[in-house]
Amino acid sequence: MSVPPGPLPRPLVERIEALFARYPYRRAALLPALHLVQKEHGGWLPDDAIRATADLFGLPDQEVRGVIGFYEMFHTHPVGRHVVRVCKTLPCKLRGADGILRHIEARYGVENGGTTGDGRFTLECFECLGHCSTGPMMLVDDERHENLTAEAVDRALGALR
Amino acid sequence: MLAHADDPAQRTLAKYRANGGYRALGKALSRTPEQVTDEVLRSGLRGRGGAGFPTGKKWQFVPKDSKKPKYLCVNADESEPGTCKDRQIMERDPHQMIEGALIAAYAIGAGACYVYVRGEYPHSIRAMEEAIDEARAAGLVGKGILGTKFSCEMWVHPGAGAYICGEETALLSSLEGGRGYPRLKPPFPAVEGLWRCPTIVNNVETLACVTHIVARGAEWWASMGCSGSTGTRLFCVSGHVKRPGVYELECGKFTLRQLLEEFCGGTNTGRPIKGCMPGGSSFQVLRADELDVRFDVDALAKAGSSLGSGGIIVFDDSISAVDVALNIAEFYSHESCGQCTPCREGSDWVRKILVRLASGRGSKSDLDLLWDVTRKMDGTTICPLAEALVWPVQSYLEKFPADFEAAVARRASA
Repeated sequence: MSVPPGPLPRPLVERIEALFARYPYRRAALLPALHLVQKEHGGWLPDDAIRATADLFGLPDQEVRGVIGFYEMFHTHPVGRHVVRVCKTLPCKLRGADGILRHIEARYGVENGGTTGDGRFTLECFECLGHCSTGPMMLVDDERHENLTAEAVDRALGALR
Repeated sequence: MLAHADDPAQRTLAKYRANGGYRALGKALSRTPEQVTDEVLRSGLRGRGGAGFPTGKKWQFVPKDSKKPKYLCVNADESEPGTCKDRQIMERDPHQMIEGALIAAYAIGAGACYVYVRGEYPHSIRAMEEAIDEARAAGLVGKGILGTKFSCEMWVHPGAGAYICGEETALLSSLEGGRGYPRLKPPFPAVEGLWRCPTIVNNVETLACVTHIVARGAEWWASMGCSGSTGTRLFCVSGHVKRPGVYELECGKFTLRQLLEEFCGGTNTGRPIKGCMPGGSSFQVLRADELDVRFDVDALAKAGSSLGSGGIIVFDDSISAVDVALNIAEFYSHESCGQCTPCREGSDWVRKILVRLASGRGSKSDLDLLWDVTRKMDGTTICPLAEALVWPVQSYLEKFPADFEAAVARRASA
């Protein structure tokens, strides 16, 4: 019987330790490390992974939770297999972002912050994603979709598994 | 800066060098750091992140006698609504920024440079990492750069989604591994920044400019644009225009109306322009009758707004100023870091009042309350995020009073 991997498998710990060398104080590697840990855990940060990360940094886990809570991109609850971030800020709003959001909510039965029933994606209505000249836009995980129409949204989201 | 932006090969070191890249770095390393700083000072370059501070002067604030290590941080946390220009440099021509950063590091005596890229820019993060790796492999980053005694490490540091981290002291707090809380100034980062060591924080576009200034000389740079706003600058146009996009233009050579009507083709809706925010959403709005202003830092300041980060947001007469102001208030109340009470509480008050007005539940006294709350936020916080909400909201109240009165009348008639 194989031993189940802990919250931080060895290769991940090695990658985090390699980050420490970039800074005079290891604490500075916390944000890059949390990105790696979150990726390892399917897009969110489970309790035991937070505790193990805090141990690695020699910090109380409350301290690490305080940092996590400040940043929009870290999740402390399970998310869908993909994360869909739709920009809602003024430049995108002027190009129809409200309609894009309403379309996604109605068509896929999901609200801002919620996950589709089949676990396919989590919808996040985001503040400015920095693609103001090509709005409305959304990020699906690390891929961007610009100049969105309802049809373009369906093509992108329909392709997700 | 955008001369080679449409060539996909420009991202590679080979192509960048074939186009003359990294000659400016060689030139800089053959001079003293003071000479390099002086060149940038004489060019008249002002920071492209929003505040418009003279770059050379900022570098001079680094104490020469300090025994502490010195750091350079590249502010690539481009988050100001309407601004999407630094991304173009990072994704299309990243080496010109890396070269500028190395020149800046040499000028201030920094041995390490951190490129803080916002987490919502995965493409920029990848492009910068690839470019820095390539530069390192070629001996342009690391120990003994170009065979000289100058050494500088460079790393990409990803943010994780917080507008406030674009404020330079918040960026430092975040880079140190904490919550992105702004710090009181003074001490300024140049004296006490990252890990309490002298630190310069420069914007991506600013550093790309440095490369060109050192390559072709301060006089050449200053011959473009106008006094007070030298050189070329990237402008991002968004909203209700026919040709939105990122434009590289000389400052002061045209008016805002020319840019919007001639270059951008007017509105995409066929309706008249109602207003325009010329410097991102953090500064005052201009009405359609105020667009004949010359497009440079000083002229826009005189017109009661700002060139800010170069993000120009345009809207036509189909949208109420109340709805625009509400969208802006939602942004800033969401992004307030929560340290200072006037901003944390005030921004949410402003948002709630605007929700009432926009949904036809607002009253005349809400307008007075908006003025009252915004006046109490102005100048009472550590960083300028509160003003970034207060100034635009007050400007909408002042410039589009009819929209707010109509919102109040909707309740009266209901």
